[in-house]
Amino acid sequence: MDFPTRVKLAIYEHFAATGARPEAAEIARSLGESGESIDGIREAYRELAGKRVLVLEEDGESIRMAPPWSGIPTQHRVLSGGVSHYANCAWDALGIPAALHAPATVDSRCEQSLEPLRIEVTPVGPVPVPCIVHFAVPAARWWENIVDT
Amino acid sequence: MLFFRSEDLVAAWCRANRLPQRPLVTLSQLWDLATAWYANRLSPEAKRPSPAEMREIFAGIGLSGPFWDPEASPESIS
Repeated sequence: MDFPTRVKLAIYEHFAATGARPEAAEIARSLGESGESIDGIREAYRELAGKRVLVLEEDGESIRMAPPWSGIPTQHRVLSGGVSHYANCAWDALGIPAALHAPATVDSRCEQSLEPLRIEVTPVGPVPVPCIVHFAVPAARWWENIVDT
Repeated sequence: MLFFRSEDLVAAWCRANRLPQRPLVTLSQLWDLATAWYANRLSPEAKRPSPAEMREIFAGIGLSGPFWDPEASPESIS
């Protein structure tokens, strides 16, 4: 397995276990790398961002998105196995239980009425509730501004 | 991609934000998208779907046309 793939897996395992974004130093420790290799971790981050696996903040090393996970709190909170996660969008809100292969409770909102919206997700999918999802941006333009898509 | 309680509320949100109303996706379709995209996200083999694979996934749940084509030209998406 190449180094960027090892970094990617470590990032995703951290999100799955904690719901929070890891620091580059935490990834280095989890991979057993020495402090000197932090630059290598950052280089892997850049490579993963170039492949659209990660979205980084302007500092180049804080993870804004590791889809379906969000590195910062959002309106889409997902509770699974006692861990609180944040998703980037409606799609990713279901993507977290899909990635975890675990039941979850999604707490979000109706974007127009701002009414709270709770969706229980079982291993075979969400329990139906009155809800619809609007995709405002065509697929060809998602990565023009993926954070707001 | 945002949740709404009803199609009427989607229409109201689009009017309020002066945005065109785009395709609507049901919760069941969204689950199909979520599993197609993310079910293997924690495995070493995980990778982003190619444009052809994306079109296939979308078409498999009834989402087709330029809006769902990641390689669509700007002219084809009004």
